[in-house]
Amino acid sequence: MKVKLFPMQCFVLAGGFATRLWPLTEKRAKPLLPLAGKPILSYLIEQVPADLPVTVSTNAAFADDFKKWRKTILRKNIEILIEDAGHEDQKLGAIGAIAQWIDLEKIDDDLLLLAGDNYVGCKMETFLSLKRDRPLLAAHDVGDAELAKHFGTVLAEGSGPVKTVISFEEKPLHPKSTFVSTGWWFLPKSSLPVIREHSLKHPDNVGGLFEEFLRRGMPVDCFVFNETWRDIGNFENYLSLHQEIVDERAIVDPGSSIGAGVSLRGSITIGPDVKLEKSTLTDCIIFGKSTIRDCVLERCIIDEDCTLEGVDLTDKMLRAGTVLKNKTAW
Amino acid sequence: MRRAILLICWLVTDMALFIAAYALAYFLRVGFILSTDFPIGPYLQTVIIITPLWVAVMLQLGIFRLTRVQSEKRNIAHILFSAVLGLALFSLAYYFLHDKFFSRLLLIYAGILSFIFTTIWHLAFDQWQRQMLRRMPPAYPLLVIGTNREAERFIKLLEERRSPFRPVAVLDSQGSPLKELAGVPVLGKLNKLEEVIKSKKPTHLIQCASLEHTINLMSVCRQHGMTYLLLPSVLGAVVGSSERIEGRPVILVKDRWF
Repeated sequence: MKVKLFPMQCFVLAGGFATRLWPLTEKRAKPLLPLAGKPILSYLIEQVPADLPVTVSTNAAFADDFKKWRKTILRKNIEILIEDAGHEDQKLGAIGAIAQWIDLEKIDDDLLLLAGDNYVGCKMETFLSLKRDRPLLAAHDVGDAELAKHFGTVLAEGSGPVKTVISFEEKPLHPKSTFVSTGWWFLPKSSLPVIREHSLKHPDNVGGLFEEFLRRGMPVDCFVFNETWRDIGNFENYLSLHQEIVDERAIVDPGSSIGAGVSLRGSITIGPDVKLEKSTLTDCIIFGKSTIRDCVLERCIIDEDCTLEGVDLTDKMLRAGTVLKNKTAW
Repeated sequence: MRRAILLICWLVTDMALFIAAYALAYFLRVGFILSTDFPIGPYLQTVIIITPLWVAVMLQLGIFRLTRVQSEKRNIAHILFSAVLGLALFSLAYYFLHDKFFSRLLLIYAGILSFIFTTIWHLAFDQWQRQMLRRMPPAYPLLVIGTNREAERFIKLLEERRSPFRPVAVLDSQGSPLKELAGVPVLGKLNKLEEVIKSKKPTHLIQCASLEHTINLMSVCRQHGMTYLLLPSVLGAVVGSSERIEGRPVILVKDRWF
C-alpha cells in the first residue's frame, strides 16, 4: 500500500548531550554511536520514506560530527539544523527546537517527529499508513511498571492496531500502564499552534505535548507495536540492543587484525584499525583504532584510541584514549 | 612552583635548625664558652656532615609530603624517630672522624633540642605553607566528583583544616539539583569534565561517588597530568590505605571490627 505523505516534514531530534552515556558521548552525539557497523541514526533514516524531507536537529557541540555523517548518506533531502547550544544548560529543548524551526522555516505541513536515539524495529511505513488528522504516537509494551516510570506512559482503548489514547503521563511515579511512548510521533499541521504555545512553557518536554493535546480535548491515536524498541539512554540498553542486532556473531572491520589466541564470544563488533592479540572478548563493542593484548573483556564498550594490555574488565565503558597496561601481569 | 620554593625553604631552615640545636646543646653542656678541651670546630663539622643524612631520613619518612598533617601523632613520631636517628648518626660519625667519645649528657641535650626545634618549626611552617598554597589562585585546585554526603563532608574538612588542596568545582555523574556543595560550585555532569579541567586547571581530582567511572576518571587524570584520589567510601569502605603485598599494590581496608 502506497501511503500519501505530502505535505509532510520529518524532524529528527538529535540535540541531546546524553550524559548517562558518558564517556562514550564525551565527543560524540548519542545518535551517532555505532551499532553493528553503522550509526544508530542511520537505522532510523533508512526507515524514513525516501521522498520525505528530513531535518536533523542537533547542537553546536556535535555539529561537525553530524556534517560528516551527512556526507556518508546517499539520500539528498536531509538538512542538518544546528541549535546554538554548546552545553546542556544552553540548549533550546526538544520542543523549543521544533518551534523555532517551524517559525524560521515557516512550516505549515504535517510533521513526523522522530527521536534520533531510539531504535524501533517495526516498519515506519506501517506507522505512517495509520495516521489520521490527529496526533499519533507509537507505543510499546515494556511489560514492567518500574521500567515504565522512566518514560511517557500511555493508557489507550480500542481494538486493532490503532487505539485511542485516554491518558498520557510523562515519567509517572505510579504508572497506570506499561505501554510507553517511543520515539516516533506524527503531528498533523493542525497541532502546530499547540506546539508553539507549549514550547514557551515546557521547551524540553515532548511527552508533555501529548498531555497538553488531551487537556485541550484533542483526540490522540496510538499505534502499538511488538517489535524491538530501545531508548539508547544508558550502557545496558545500548549493549542489549547490540546483542539483539548482532546476535551470536562477530562483526569485524576488514581493517582490523585478529591475532593468534583470540576468542570472540557472543555478540562482538570490532571497528577499524583494531589490533587484537591473545584475548578473550564476550559481548563487546570496540569502536576502533585500539590495541588489545592479553585481555579478558566481558560486556565492555571500548571507545577509540585505547590501549589495553594484561587487564580483565567486565561491564565497563572506556573513554577514548584510555591506556591500561598491567605491567605486573600475574 | 610555589610548592617547590616552599619545600626548598623548609629543607634549608630545617637543616639550619638542626645545626642550631646541636650548637645549643654544646653550649648548654660545656657552658657559654669555647672550650679547648672539647673544641667546637670538629663538633660542628660532624653535625654539618650528618645534617643532609638526617634530612634524607625525614624525606624518606614522608614528613614533607603535601598530604602530611604536621600535628598528627604519626608525624610527630616520625620526627622523634629521625631525631634519634640523627643522634645515632652523629655519634657514629664523630667516633669515626675523631676516634673518641664525649659527653653523654650532650647527646641527650642534642636529641631533645633537635626534636623540639624541628617539631615546633614544622607545626609553624605547616600553617604558613597552607596559607601560601591556598592563596588565589590556589597551588593545588581540587576537582570533586560526586555530590553525596561524603563529598560534602570532605569539602568541609578541607576548608576547616585550611588544606593545601582547595576544592574549586564539583561534578556529578547523575546530575545534581544543587548549585553548590559546601560553598563549592556544582558545574554539572561528567560531560563537562574536559571544559572544567580547561577552565579550573585542577591538579588533583577526588572521586567521591560513581564507582563505575573509576577507570575513565583515572584515564582523564593521566591525560591531563592530574593526580587521581579516591575516597574509600566509593568502594563501600570506611577507611582504607594503599599497601603492598609481595610487591603488588593493594588497597587495604581494616578496622577493629573487620
